[in-house]
Amino acid sequence: MSIVLRILLILFSFITMISMIKKIRSSKVQIEYSIFWILFSVGIIVIAVFPQIVTELAELIGVQSPVNMIFLIIIFILIVRLFQLTVQISQLEYKLKELVQKIAILSSDKNNETKKNPRE
Amino acid sequence: MKVLVIIPAYNEEENIEAVIDNLISNYSEYDYVIINDGSKDKTSEICHGHGYNIVDLPVNLGLAGAFQTGLKYADLNGYDYAVQLDADGQHNPKYISDMLKKIQENNDDIVIASRFETEKKPWSMRMLGSRLISGAIKLTTGKHLTDPTSGMRMYNRKMIHEFAANINYGPEPDTVSFLIKQGAKVESVQVTMDERTAGESYLNLSRSMIYMVRMIISIVLINNFRKR
Repeated sequence: MSIVLRILLILFSFITMISMIKKIRSSKVQIEYSIFWILFSVGIIVIAVFPQIVTELAELIGVQSPVNMIFLIIIFILIVRLFQLTVQISQLEYKLKELVQKIAILSSDKNNETKKNPRE
Repeated sequence: MKVLVIIPAYNEEENIEAVIDNLISNYSEYDYVIINDGSKDKTSEICHGHGYNIVDLPVNLGLAGAFQTGLKYADLNGYDYAVQLDADGQHNPKYISDMLKKIQENNDDIVIASRFETEKKPWSMRMLGSRLISGAIKLTTGKHLTDPTSGMRMYNRKMIHEFAANINYGPEPDTVSFLIKQGAKVESVQVTMDERTAGESYLNLSRSMIYMVRMIISIVLINNFRKR
């Protein structure tokens, strides 16, 4: 792995981390959601500082060059995260629908009348 | 002086009746509110059947969202103190008076019901996590909290308002640590907690691991950069 690539990986990891922390400072992101990005950045920094990890892993799996191994690792992690986010978005949409429907029913005139005359 | 007991409840049909009946008959000096966090079992029906004071969330928000609902309720209704009490029966309301005494005496912002203020903390796997979080808080704030993961905490009016209005103010050790760093006064009182009487605990091994990682990163790294 070239020294330039290693420096770039470290640089971009730090930028990612700082951007995330800035978002938390301005109350734009919940801490739960920043944890992934912080762990991800730390992981990339570790790989950039100790490239032997990737070199040996590449040999083990049979990937030609260590750089490809890094791409593979990053793509794999991002796909897993994308999968989780798809599930989360789907759940959010379901919750939003539930909320909208419930509020609409509660604020409809018909329901307000039944509230005045309880079922019992 | 008004005190509100906030009881977040998610699928607690087996425990909720005993907990609330005990509160009503023996501790009527405190107001209470149950926050039903979109339970799928009969929790809501049981509470409405008994005429308990309950807020039903239409969807599941998780503990932080449910508890914040209780604090918003406290804030809107002008309560002086709010205390979290778990619906599973492991928190005994008899300690609320001790917490109240402490918070008024020292003009504290938060008082934590600690299992290990005077008692010794056992060396179990579960307590390893507690020690790690204690250590992280000590490292970053200089304050030694004997039981940072205890859910039974009392908040004064200022804290109620702050917790009700902000993002990233979950009822967890990292928020407490952040507030100590920002100058809040946090103390503990000794209590004994019961094992949960029925139902299943939310925390299994993998969830506990994720929780620990999240807490440690939040306390050691993120809290240094947050602004109040």
